[in-house]
Amino acid sequence: MSAAPLLEVRGLTKRYLGLTALDSLSYSVEPGAVVGIIGPNGSGKSTNVDCISGFQGADAGHWFLDGVELTGLPAHRIAQTGLVRSFQNVQAYDEMTLLENLCVARQEIDGIGWWATLARSARLREGEAAAEARGRELLALVGLAEFAQAPAAILSYGQRKLLAIAACLMARPKLIILDEPVAGVNPTMIRHIAQVIRKLNAEGIALIIIEHNVDFVMSLCRRVIVIEAGRKIADASPAVVRADPRVLAAYLGRAGAAEAQGAHG
Amino acid sequence: MTAAGVTVAGVTVAGALRFLLPAGACAVLLLLPRLTANEYLFALGVSFATFSVLAGGLNLVYGYTGLLSFAQVGFFGIGAYAAALLVTEQQWPFLAAVAAAGAIATVAGLVIGYSSLRLSRHAFAIVTLSFALLCMIVARDWVSLTRGAMGIPGLPAPVLNLPAGLSWRIASPADFHWLMTIFAIAANALIYLVMTSRLGRAMRAIRQNEALARSQGINPLAYRLLALGLSALLAGLAGGLFVFYLTIVDPSVFDFYYTETMLIMVIIGGAGSFWGVLVSTAVLTVVPDLLRFSTDLRMVLYGVILIIVMLVFPGGIGGWLRKRGVARWRSVRVAKS
Amino acid sequence: MDAGFLMGLLINGLVIGVIYALVAIGLSLIFGVLEIVNFAHGEFYMLGAIAAYFLVANAGFGYWPAVLVVTLVAVCLGYVLFEALLGGLRGESFERSILLTLGLSMVLQNGAVFLFTTTPKMMTTPLSYATLTLGDLRISVVRLYALGLGLAAFALLYVVLYRTRIGKAMRGVAQNRNAALMVGIDPHVVARLAVAIGIGLSGLAGAALAPVYAVHPLMGFAFVFKAFAIIIIGGLGNVSGAALAALALGVLETLIGGFLPLVMVDALAFGAMILVLLVKPHGLFGRGVRV
Repeated sequence: MSAAPLLEVRGLTKRYLGLTALDSLSYSVEPGAVVGIIGPNGSGKSTNVDCISGFQGADAGHWFLDGVELTGLPAHRIAQTGLVRSFQNVQAYDEMTLLENLCVARQEIDGIGWWATLARSARLREGEAAAEARGRELLALVGLAEFAQAPAAILSYGQRKLLAIAACLMARPKLIILDEPVAGVNPTMIRHIAQVIRKLNAEGIALIIIEHNVDFVMSLCRRVIVIEAGRKIADASPAVVRADPRVLAAYLGRAGAAEAQGAHG
Repeated sequence: MTAAGVTVAGVTVAGALRFLLPAGACAVLLLLPRLTANEYLFALGVSFATFSVLAGGLNLVYGYTGLLSFAQVGFFGIGAYAAALLVTEQQWPFLAAVAAAGAIATVAGLVIGYSSLRLSRHAFAIVTLSFALLCMIVARDWVSLTRGAMGIPGLPAPVLNLPAGLSWRIASPADFHWLMTIFAIAANALIYLVMTSRLGRAMRAIRQNEALARSQGINPLAYRLLALGLSALLAGLAGGLFVFYLTIVDPSVFDFYYTETMLIMVIIGGAGSFWGVLVSTAVLTVVPDLLRFSTDLRMVLYGVILIIVMLVFPGGIGGWLRKRGVARWRSVRVAKS
Repeated sequence: MDAGFLMGLLINGLVIGVIYALVAIGLSLIFGVLEIVNFAHGEFYMLGAIAAYFLVANAGFGYWPAVLVVTLVAVCLGYVLFEALLGGLRGESFERSILLTLGLSMVLQNGAVFLFTTTPKMMTTPLSYATLTLGDLRISVVRLYALGLGLAAFALLYVVLYRTRIGKAMRGVAQNRNAALMVGIDPHVVARLAVAIGIGLSGLAGAALAPVYAVHPLMGFAFVFKAFAIIIIGGLGNVSGAALAALALGVLETLIGGFLPLVMVDALAFGAMILVLLVKPHGLFGRGVRV
């Protein structure tokens, strides 16, 4: 593991109403890695995402993307640096077409300023054309090409998740954080989403996958981080994590863990 | 294939209409003084032009960016007073005074925007409303600056120095009709340009889903300030020009009547629909006058319309059309699955 | 500085403050329970005053019966208003509710102007000129009655909110809507009562103060902006905050009005509101537990 980390999080801490949601959480992600983050309900997985993507303020800690410090930056600036996230309750622009949804995701990233935009300069027109082309490509990748001109409101839940992943890609990300990408989705769609994720990773994009579906995470990720009560309790390959007694205790409680160990061992 | 889809020489019927109708309408408006001497029509023309700019600005702020702001009339009135005072007190030339009025209104818009955009939507609505009322109170009570309730009467007819040594004295209703129509065409063109550009798309994104927009690099504060500042600029310029048509500026320029009317125009046309709002502005300028309702009854009617629209069709005509589009696509998707 | 003069100002300030509080509490209650800013709130104050005027001037009612009748009618009106218009709205459709109540305000205000013209009318009852003299102090009896009515209304409200089940339910919904729903509180019933009480208080305020100031159709309009400023200062949805802010404003306005020009007085409410928003955007007393 000699490559410099793409994402580095050090000592991330978040408290609210007397509760410590994140307790000095530290971890790192290498370029091109697929890392899973799992943990019981309320362990702080989503708070972690919200903090490093700028949607919630952190009480302490620093985090860096590719060596650039992101601590304290507002959400829109963090997105512009290449750290892109999706949302648990899938978000889309319902009144816009799928293609427009994707073009919006690209527009702040391609460096064309307001004046050029208003004047409809050649740069703008090229930028829009490029965005549209890329958008169609991605819609084809996720299997939604036929609905390119349809308003996003008509998509099914699983299709919205695919659109969200495509939108993440439009922003030319270095790292994508997927927050529960397969929650509430049928098994066929789960396989489809897993396929899409593997294709993304093959192109060199690093991914963090937050999920409750432990099997999904274990099958896709080469490394798994387990969080409990805001603290990291494991950080290793799926096989090692599966057998880790602390992880079992976190999910099943002490008695359940002992029983499970007895069954495994 | 519908009739609208028929193509002749690469241009569809629908596409041609989309260009010809507005161009034709502009031409008629501009040529009106050549076609008739009916001063009543010129008065309607001035009213339509002025409201089209006010409603257009409100449409940008509310329909695109999603901010329910009642401050428009404040910027309108500030522009009116600024232009009037600069011309009468400081002897500024007309165009410079109007330009300055626009700049002052823009600054006011940015200040109000910056300070109240962090508030909840309810507080924002209340603050913008209070701002408009405060403007009226100041205009009425700060007598040393604004001459109080009596206002400043007898504003001189503006004189525009045109190239080639010509000068245009704007005094008759026809002259004002031209002035306001030319301004309104330019202002609405600017609004249209913004709405159909990436800037407008970013604003729509912010209104539809602010969290998602932020996660894609869009800065909501910047775009909201842009919308507010631009609408303040246009309202201020409109006020600066309109006040010379009235030839008097007094606190009634801040009247809530303007707010109520522009709001109805935007709601009925459909917040976010450029053409819808223009059409409803035209209809609401002409029809009430035809019906010769007293102002109070007209307002009662508007109130009733507002209530009914809010209960039944909150998206206005534009919104209803959009829903039909969604329903059509839904049936396509179901058929395909 | 005449102590009598100052005391007189103070008492007048309290009277005004109590009236502001009645209106502001109603507005705050409606916002707290329904998440709706009722733009038509001032119109019910105005209608209360106009109704009281007609009852006294044309139907020969006395002051007390007029106030009682108007208040009861206002409560019923609130009930009807809720069922007919507001019941279907939810807090999330925020612009809808503001624009709906704005439309209602337009109908009521302009309808009143059309029917009654803008000429202010003075209500004269045998009480109008009666004054009470306490040492140095001369206070108009009507103002004292208004003060008494206001305090009685507060007391009644306190009893309802803190001692009845439905009142507690109302406070619960205002503090944390979702938790209240989970506990099985029926939001419809609670909301209906909140609107009825809110409108009732507004009507009461208008009727109680009708003999003191001139009655005219635009009186609610100017008033309601102050009420908005008050609920922002006190914290949106915070009923006791609204009451305190209202009393303070009433007293301050009257004290200042005794010494400074009128424009300062009108601008005081807005100035205070802006100051509070810059420093404590959730209002002086915040919203309580509700996030």
